[in-house]
Amino acid sequence: MEPFLGLTASGLSKNYGPKKALDNVSFKAPKAGFTVILGPGGAGKTTTLRLLAGLEPQLRGEIFLGDTEISKLAPKDRNLAMIFDNLALYPNKNGFQNLASPLIQRKVPFEQIRSRVFEIAEKLNLSLVLDRLPKTMSGGEKQRLALGRALVREPRFFLLDEPLSSLDAPLRYVIRAELKRLQREEGHSFLMATPDFTEALAVADTIIVLNEGKVVQTGDQSDIYDRPVNTHTALFVGSPQINLLRSGYSNGRISLLGQQLPCPAHLSEVLAQRNLAKFTIGLRPENVSLILPNGPTTIDKSPNEKPNNPQNPLYPDILAQGPIIDIESLGRTLSVTVGIGRELVTMLAPATVLDQISIGLVVDFKIKDPTGLSAFDIAGLNIAA
Amino acid sequence: MLNRPLSPWQIPVLVLALIVVLFPIFWLVMTAIKPPIDWNASPAIWIPSEPTLINFQTLFDPDAIRAHGVGGVSQSATRAVLGSIMASLSSTFLAVALGLISAIGLSRYSRTNWATPLIILSGRMFPPAAIAVPFVIIFSMTNLMDTYPGLVAIYTAVTLPFSTWMLKSFVDDLPREMEEAAMLDGKSRLAAHLTITLPLIKGGLFSTTMLVFILNWSEYMFAQVLSNTKIATIPVQLAKYVTATAGTLYGVQAALAVLAMVPLIIGGYFIQGHLARGLTFGAIKK
Repeated sequence: MEPFLGLTASGLSKNYGPKKALDNVSFKAPKAGFTVILGPGGAGKTTTLRLLAGLEPQLRGEIFLGDTEISKLAPKDRNLAMIFDNLALYPNKNGFQNLASPLIQRKVPFEQIRSRVFEIAEKLNLSLVLDRLPKTMSGGEKQRLALGRALVREPRFFLLDEPLSSLDAPLRYVIRAELKRLQREEGHSFLMATPDFTEALAVADTIIVLNEGKVVQTGDQSDIYDRPVNTHTALFVGSPQINLLRSGYSNGRISLLGQQLPCPAHLSEVLAQRNLAKFTIGLRPENVSLILPNGPTTIDKSPNEKPNNPQNPLYPDILAQGPIIDIESLGRTLSVTVGIGRELVTMLAPATVLDQISIGLVVDFKIKDPTGLSAFDIAGLNIAA
Repeated sequence: MLNRPLSPWQIPVLVLALIVVLFPIFWLVMTAIKPPIDWNASPAIWIPSEPTLINFQTLFDPDAIRAHGVGGVSQSATRAVLGSIMASLSSTFLAVALGLISAIGLSRYSRTNWATPLIILSGRMFPPAAIAVPFVIIFSMTNLMDTYPGLVAIYTAVTLPFSTWMLKSFVDDLPREMEEAAMLDGKSRLAAHLTITLPLIKGGLFSTTMLVFILNWSEYMFAQVLSNTKIATIPVQLAKYVTATAGTLYGVQAALAVLAMVPLIIGGYFIQGHLARGLTFGAIKK
């Protein structure tokens, strides 16, 4: 087996007073990969990165870079760079001095520093801010300067702590794409923390979902999005949020919104085995089709959507019917919420139908692809995972 | 800082306040240049018709005033001025140096959020007179009574909470990630504090030094209680000019007070922006 050259966290635990900040966190972030730690605020993302960087001691656990244990080394000896969410640029140093500071601290000869700084400034489009102080720079320039200060030294791993959080939305997309491009082209090893699932899905090769100090799930985009390990991840990843609907199993059929449906093939074996009288069905909004009098509506496929399987002939053309409770515009699509008894179902519809629907209008809808359903037991765990 | 024009009714109020504040200083300066006959003349002489420097001369040549028959002291003020300079400078240096270490420690490495800060402040929660008596006893037992090291020790102890809290508020304003970035880039903790933290708080360091110096320079009570014949400071010397044995040397007293004001005015001018922060232990920020 080839030796693992990335960053390995093994059983990291950390307490702040009596509060468990991290509880036995283990993962592997591959070399030359873009790994993202995804989790809500307070999940322990920053703590994880700070432990890896050696800025705080861990209670238990080891950290390896390749096969070298680095958990007991001082931050300066770990050969990592970190970009902080507040960027931590030196306010009293200009662009050049900020970029040069890691090299100056490593006592690199000045001629080398000069050429390296100019090279990085060229690459990150920072040439015009080299003689300016950070307070005179725009948000994007500061962001790229912080990135440049980390890149200038060529460390073995980059830790990025919500590096895009201070930017406004349009700039965030630009810098995000730049980060991804840079990582891929230069073969850098990135480990980035973010609370934003779209960011994670957009850039990551590997996603580590962290919640309440524990690793909940590790996988690529489709693992996380299509096969969330529990309802927490299912709700956290995806917007509008996944619909969680009450369901039950008996004799090869599942009940959903008052209908008895044939059990989807990918769930039939485990449902038959566990014979759950009560469980929860997870139904993504883009997997529901709003049906208007002139026929079902369709939306452009999102990149995460797989091509529809041929329609299961046993599935009804209409799953259920109910009044529209809420309509929210998402730009080219609409998020339409329909009430059926005590349950709500949110679905996506094209923006072009806006003038055909209104709050209170009773509409039909159906499931597009039964293989896209997920099922969770009453504890919230995915029963098929 | 608000920067808007004063409304018409604010001007007379400000003028009145200025008169209240500046009148004693005006009186002091005038008294310092009055000949002995004018010192407590009645009705009061506001501006002397024959200004003189004899009061200043008497500070360093005590016998100069004797001819006027208003009393006299045997001690020149030189010793007190030198004593004040020495005691204030050394205790300011100590209080700021120790305060800096404590401030960085509290700001960066302390997990307690209230207990330690409160304990540091507790020494300032009593009136100074309440802790002076125990110090007299302690100093007598340790042979620190009437010595400069003793005075420096107590000045350092009394001003350390000020310097710690004021400096902590400046360190708190700096994101710790700046030091951490430097640590990842190759610096030890100490080096990161010296090369990153220190240059970024140098304005705060300067203001703190000035404030602590002013506190030490104008301290009277401890110096009076803990000194006897071997040491003196300017405030102690000031008191010696108006006593039963010395007589009422108002002009000489005023002359020394005017000299003593000079460093305070210069220092106060430089730190006026930070004064509120210092006097509220860092609670008020500009």
